[in-house]
Amino acid sequence: MALLEIENLSFSYPESEKRVLDNVSFSLERGDFLLVCGATGSGKSTLLRCLKRELTPLGALSGRILYGGKPLDELPDRASARLIGFVGQRPEQQLVTDKVWHELAFGLENLGAPSPLIRRRVAETAAYFDLEDCFEREVSSLSGGQKQLVNLAAVMAMRPEVLLLDEPTAQLDPIAAESFLSTLEKLNRELSLTIVLIEHRLEEALPLSNRLLALENGKTLVFDKTRRAARALREHPVLSRALPGATRLSALLHEDDCPLTVREGRALLERRGGAFRTLVDEPHDEERAALAFRDVYFRYERSGADVLRGTAFRAAEGEITCLLGGNGSGKSTLLNCAAGLLRPYAGRVEVFGRPIRAYKGQALYQGVLALLPQDVQTMFLAATVREELKGVDYSAFPVDFEPLLDKHPYDLSGGEQQALGLIKALAAKPRLLLLDEPTKGLDARARDGVADILKALRARGLSIVCVTHDVEFAAACADQCALFFRGDVVSMDRPRAFFGGNAYYVPAAGRMARGLCEGALTVEELAAMEERA
Amino acid sequence: MGALDRRHPAAVFVYFAGVMAAAMLTLNPALLLVSIGGGALLLLIRGAARLSSLLFSLALFAAMTLINPLFNHNGVTVLFVLGDSPVTLEALLYGAASAAMVTAVLMWCRSLSGVLGEDKLLYLFARVSPRIALVVSMALRGAGLFSAQARRVRRSQKGLGLYKEDNIVDTIRSDARVFSILVTWALENGVITADSMAARGYGTARRTAFSRYRFTRGDAMLLAAGLLLTGLSLWGVLSGTLDVSYYPAVRWTAMTPLGWAALIGYGILALWPALLEGGERLKWRFLRSKI
Amino acid sequence: MIVIRSERLRRVIRRVVPFIVVPALALSGAVLAERGQYALVISLACAASFLLFAAGFERKRTGARRLVVVSVMTALAVAGRFIPLVKPVAALTIISALYLGGEAGFLTGALTALISNFYFGQGPWTAFQMTAWGLVGLIAGLLAAPLRKNRALLLLYGLLSGIGYSMIMDVWTVLWYGRGFSLPLYLAALATALPHTALYAASNVIYLALFARPFGEKLERLRVKYGI
Repeated sequence: MALLEIENLSFSYPESEKRVLDNVSFSLERGDFLLVCGATGSGKSTLLRCLKRELTPLGALSGRILYGGKPLDELPDRASARLIGFVGQRPEQQLVTDKVWHELAFGLENLGAPSPLIRRRVAETAAYFDLEDCFEREVSSLSGGQKQLVNLAAVMAMRPEVLLLDEPTAQLDPIAAESFLSTLEKLNRELSLTIVLIEHRLEEALPLSNRLLALENGKTLVFDKTRRAARALREHPVLSRALPGATRLSALLHEDDCPLTVREGRALLERRGGAFRTLVDEPHDEERAALAFRDVYFRYERSGADVLRGTAFRAAEGEITCLLGGNGSGKSTLLNCAAGLLRPYAGRVEVFGRPIRAYKGQALYQGVLALLPQDVQTMFLAATVREELKGVDYSAFPVDFEPLLDKHPYDLSGGEQQALGLIKALAAKPRLLLLDEPTKGLDARARDGVADILKALRARGLSIVCVTHDVEFAAACADQCALFFRGDVVSMDRPRAFFGGNAYYVPAAGRMARGLCEGALTVEELAAMEERA
Repeated sequence: MGALDRRHPAAVFVYFAGVMAAAMLTLNPALLLVSIGGGALLLLIRGAARLSSLLFSLALFAAMTLINPLFNHNGVTVLFVLGDSPVTLEALLYGAASAAMVTAVLMWCRSLSGVLGEDKLLYLFARVSPRIALVVSMALRGAGLFSAQARRVRRSQKGLGLYKEDNIVDTIRSDARVFSILVTWALENGVITADSMAARGYGTARRTAFSRYRFTRGDAMLLAAGLLLTGLSLWGVLSGTLDVSYYPAVRWTAMTPLGWAALIGYGILALWPALLEGGERLKWRFLRSKI
Repeated sequence: MIVIRSERLRRVIRRVVPFIVVPALALSGAVLAERGQYALVISLACAASFLLFAAGFERKRTGARRLVVVSVMTALAVAGRFIPLVKPVAALTIISALYLGGEAGFLTGALTALISNFYFGQGPWTAFQMTAWGLVGLIAGLLAAPLRKNRALLLLYGLLSGIGYSMIMDVWTVLWYGRGFSLPLYLAALATALPHTALYAASNVIYLALFARPFGEKLERLRVKYGI
């Protein structure tokens, strides 16, 4: 018998004709791992919230949701809260209490469990998720990845049978995201936990799942075994963009096989044995420096360790420079020093050839540079987008703000918020734009949108320095890439040369083609060469 | 971690409350002196205070002592006349006794907040109201989170040239902006927290509060000893045998056996924590020298 | 047995008895008593009334979202107490009471005192301070309708609550130091605290003037969108 059965589920919000979910049906057995994908606004979050009774929004719901053969509504409150677990996108905001142990106990406390039982469950859970070392710590001292792991463990301490996850890795860096996903895979494999996961970036998540559901405008586009569904989706104009590189490559090559991983994609390329050539960067004229760091040292506290250790680096005028590197390597610190928000204790920071200290008062922020913070919500003050944009000329911006004007900034999608942040940062007409992780939490389409905006700004002569974890994004728009490691730039080059020299910080296309074709950044390039040969 | 940190919060709380209650209900100098001595010793042994900060307590004590004779002119022994009013020895002594009481309680409070940190106090609170304890826990997390977020917002506003501190009006305006952004952020994101609570069954049953503390034999002993000695001290204090009357002249009540018993009992009560902690520290030193 | 029919009256009694009558009784009892530490007695009374409140709060069903908003307001007030000189604690307590009700106001004020004293020093005065700030919120909650309508009245309330808070805390100071209430000592305490009192009152007015309306809009949006 199916554990979870959804029959003709439709949903619409109050005072709205539009069906956010339209006749969705599927069923899951115990131990299934379902991946749900779809564009922003396709109804996937609403679907997940309909499966979690406590979070179901107000509105008109029709159709049936059966849990273990019985309607979900008929489940007692406690059973519903316990059996179906939910983990959302933002690690910090889902935490309720101040200590890790308390967070793990929270759910069981709500269910009214006695202390001895809580003690046992909490201890076991902490051991399983390797949280013993931070058991007594304050949650605020944890990294984003650890916080999300605590959120997962806190749900698992209640021993759910189904786990619903709404973009749990969107706010994490790639390393933490992969480790989170592998924890999910372990739960699925070892405990036969049923998992429903929403993700935009399918490169890592897709191979873990055994079922794939794609939604478009609230309707089921595909529901099938993962590989078959991926094959059906790879021709789709929008959703194919989110698929793993190998899958997209197979579509471009019109292959019958549908590879899902880099390993399978590589095998496909080798089997076809196409002739490749090495791609090199186009020669650029050496431009003057928009931003230059000359042996800069910085530390937060006098007795602390150096965060920037003799950083030397330059970003040319009119180019997009992407800084890649791990968490805690000092990338954000570097941006803050570049924007004059932090002051190095040694070395020089120059903006357009002038030492940063030569810009007095607000001069640096009037027509010279602007820093777009990582969390764009730290910029929103007004109750509507219209007020937010008062006095800002957004006509030449490649995003249409007109339909968004009466919305609250917090009601915008992640990509729209990022665009709003960008246009606000451009209000003081900076010539140098500093960006901190502009693609964090964005889906493939929104990410491409940001890349397009940056290219449009570059065409207008803006210089852009961007700190990012996102290699696909850097490959899509950078003129220069630099690898930042332990407070210094260890390598810097044009993208093809840069990614050609790396083994791990490489887009999927590069990883598949290693040794066959150096310098390829996208699957489109690979496919084009194959066909010409 | 000292010996007291391992004890059950309830036992610790009752013990400290007893020490403070007895001290607050009397102006007997002997008892207050013992209380201050025990409190200071405990602070020193736990490393919660250094000698220099105890000197500050002494200065505070002196200041509080001097306030009383300025406002109270009872007493028969006039030391000197200040303005029109006489300053009497009795008023000075009374002031000293009051100040000693305040100083003693302050010292014990300081030790108590060291031993009974947020976690443990919250645990005690959760016995009464798990839900208010939850609000406290959430607010504790929020206070740190919002301070950090306020710094992030200020930095982000500076990086966009929207935070000006050229003059006081600009600074206030900019800070109000930062605060407003912060409040929106906190309230809007609070909805996510509320969802996360609902998803984990908040409100489906009467909440319990998880206790990480187990009541052991050691706790029972501490609790029993605390209650017994507090009872004895309070009996002595409330029976009046330890009373000292300061006005018009200082007069001690004749000490009865009960008085002596109460005084000695209080002495043990006040010194026990220090001995417990000190003994443990000595043991450690001894063990280490053997390794 | 007398049954009170009016829901409103019952509600008033439920609030007035634990918060005003009990402490008042204890206070007068203590003042009349021949011996003893009045401060201790009052602290106990305050603690008792808070526990009574807590017990009542425990039995009510309070939704997660409401609870979160109260904790957010409390956390903001706690963080605000670290701002040098001008402290927004009372203003935030009042705002909380205006839009979320007297109970929430009381909770915000009382818990702010409790939590911030982890940093500013716990002691027998904590209970007293909790009651004082709690009352600032509770009374604001009872007067919510006129205070929300009339801005001048709101600022006046802020001013008075600043002065009142200071005057109540000085009662504590005097009782805590001496045995019994001494008027000259109280007046002296008031006089030395005058700069503080003025600052309290002024910061209440400033914060209320700046933030009462924006807060109202923000909380209103939450109510419309999420039904808090």
